[in-house]
Amino acid sequence: MTTTAPQPVSPTTSPTAAGSRIRPVIPAKLDFAGVLGAEWRKLFSLRSTWWTLGLTVVLMTLMALGQAAGVTDSLDTPEGAATFVGLHGAELVTGGYQFGMLTIAVLGALLITGEYSTGMIRSTFAAVPTRLPVLAAKGIVLAAVTVVITAIAFVTSYAATAPILTDHDLVPSLTDPTTWQIAGGVTAFLVAAAMFALGIGTLLRSTAGSVTVVITTLLLLPGILQFITVDWVQDAMEYLPLPAATAFVTVSDAFGGAGDLTAWQGAAIVAAWAIVPIIAAAIMLGRRDA
Amino acid sequence: MIEATNLTKRYGDKTAVDSISFTIRPGTVTGFLGPNGAGKSTTMRMILGLDQPTSGTVTVNGKPYAEHATPLREVGALLEAKAVHPGRSAKAHLGTMAATHHIRAKRVDEVIELTGLAAVANKRVGGFSLGMGQRLGIASALLADPDTLILDEPVNGLDPDGVQWVRTLVRDLAAEGRTVFLSSHLMSEMAQTADQLLVIGKGRIITTGPVQEVIDSVLASTVRVRSPHATDLASLLEAAGATVTSPEPGTLDVRGLTGETIGDTAYTHHLALHELATQQASLEAAYMALTQDAVEYRSETTTPEPIPAGAPR
Ligand SMILES: Nc1ncnc2c1ncn2[C@@H]1O[C@H](COP(=O)(O)OP(=O)(O)O)[C@@H](O)[C@H]1O
Ligand SMILES: [Mg+2]
Repeated sequence: MTTTAPQPVSPTTSPTAAGSRIRPVIPAKLDFAGVLGAEWRKLFSLRSTWWTLGLTVVLMTLMALGQAAGVTDSLDTPEGAATFVGLHGAELVTGGYQFGMLTIAVLGALLITGEYSTGMIRSTFAAVPTRLPVLAAKGIVLAAVTVVITAIAFVTSYAATAPILTDHDLVPSLTDPTTWQIAGGVTAFLVAAAMFALGIGTLLRSTAGSVTVVITTLLLLPGILQFITVDWVQDAMEYLPLPAATAFVTVSDAFGGAGDLTAWQGAAIVAAWAIVPIIAAAIMLGRRDA
Repeated sequence: MIEATNLTKRYGDKTAVDSISFTIRPGTVTGFLGPNGAGKSTTMRMILGLDQPTSGTVTVNGKPYAEHATPLREVGALLEAKAVHPGRSAKAHLGTMAATHHIRAKRVDEVIELTGLAAVANKRVGGFSLGMGQRLGIASALLADPDTLILDEPVNGLDPDGVQWVRTLVRDLAAEGRTVFLSSHLMSEMAQTADQLLVIGKGRIITTGPVQEVIDSVLASTVRVRSPHATDLASLLEAAGATVTSPEPGTLDVRGLTGETIGDTAYTHHLALHELATQQASLEAAYMALTQDAVEYRSETTTPEPIPAGAPR
């Protein structure tokens, strides 16, 4: 009756079914926080990101400085004073936002086209096969970086222009709500430009194609169309992102004027430019082969 | 376990994968063998949900890959061509992959060690040789210690040491009970690495089975027969299920029957034989014969297909 004798059961000698895991498990869990962290690391593990962001701050600051110098010079003449009536100092401090728009938009497009052109997108989608979280995470990371960079550029531009602006009593007061409206408006516009570029990049996939479309829409088209003085062209032009943005990033008529749009109408138009491509991109992302 | 049912992929008019069905079992190394353009990479991309099948289904451990909660734990993949941004270091690349699944940095270091990349871990991938790129791909496949490995042409570009290393690695992984599915266009490579073979040509499964069986079947498949009664013999052999071709009058190449059966048939019907020889083709030659019908435009392979702009593969 040896079979009835209790035998110590050793887990190491108990038979394992063929193919069962006998190795230690590597902890792994996929969730949105992880995807967000991965996108953050992706962005900042590329040198080009640091270059682009550094360039954005420098260009925005230099542009603001140049514009502030030019404008304050002409303020000393009666004609200049007439042109810039109602001018707010914050408009000059944020004067470099069009440069920021360009570099941030290129960064936004590259964020996704860089993955398609290198094949990285396959690794990305193998890790996150539902795909949509990748686009969402890229959008959030890009928006966050844009906000921070715009804030830094505001501070550096503020510091750089203050010595010039102070002579004309144009240093924007930080307790003036208009200062914050302009700074906030510029930030929101740059975030929108970034989202627009990310959406276009996701739809087109090619870096060259996306950058061309983005720069044309944001900068070239408004620049070219302003010379076509046909009424309907001028009316239509107001619906492009940059002209629409002037409705809320400027308060005076000094910089191309706010046109016929109210600040909120301008904001709605700019938001549409950001949201429509992103939604289209989100819809197409899951349907196409990677 | 990978199961495909009538899996089909068309790119426009081009059928890359043509209604294939197969099951890849755990605990074995299954070789996916076929000439360039046969549809191996396309099939592997469909398993990972990167390309959408035109029709049919493919599941990994019972579910489409995208429906798994922890995809990297389920399947680790080395994809054809570097699926890596060249501006990132090897370590940063693995770090971003690991981050999605909250895999610890320690594990990243482990796979770097394991794949022999320690010396170049902080170098940018853009400067990597093909072999180092393959090692990085394998490192990322191993990150979450997956149950299934899909390796597309893993020995491509590796030096002999590297090839040996991959062989040992995949054998060990299968011995641990994992499903290992790897592709190659070289029969000799597969003969040394795989247990099971899935041979594909022009998007269709040509044959499947244990490696040795597939090899035996192709190696023994042609028997050269010379006989003054070649025509009579040919119809008898065809009736017995053979495929018979006649390179010249009085000579037959017989596929699908063994030398013994052919000799016995001739004897039974009192037909004289002047030669009965099983063709000892090399492994590669046998494989060529096997996939011959399936290789498209062998002479045209130098003409690259135009790739439409804005449609990267
Ligand atoms: N994205 C694509 N668009 C068009 N044709 C493709 C695409 N991917 C693969 N093909 C075609 O499908 C066929 C199978 O390709 P592939 O799966 O790469 O073969 P393999 O990996 O066996 O060499 C080839 O003829 C290839 O040109
Ligand atoms: Mg291939």
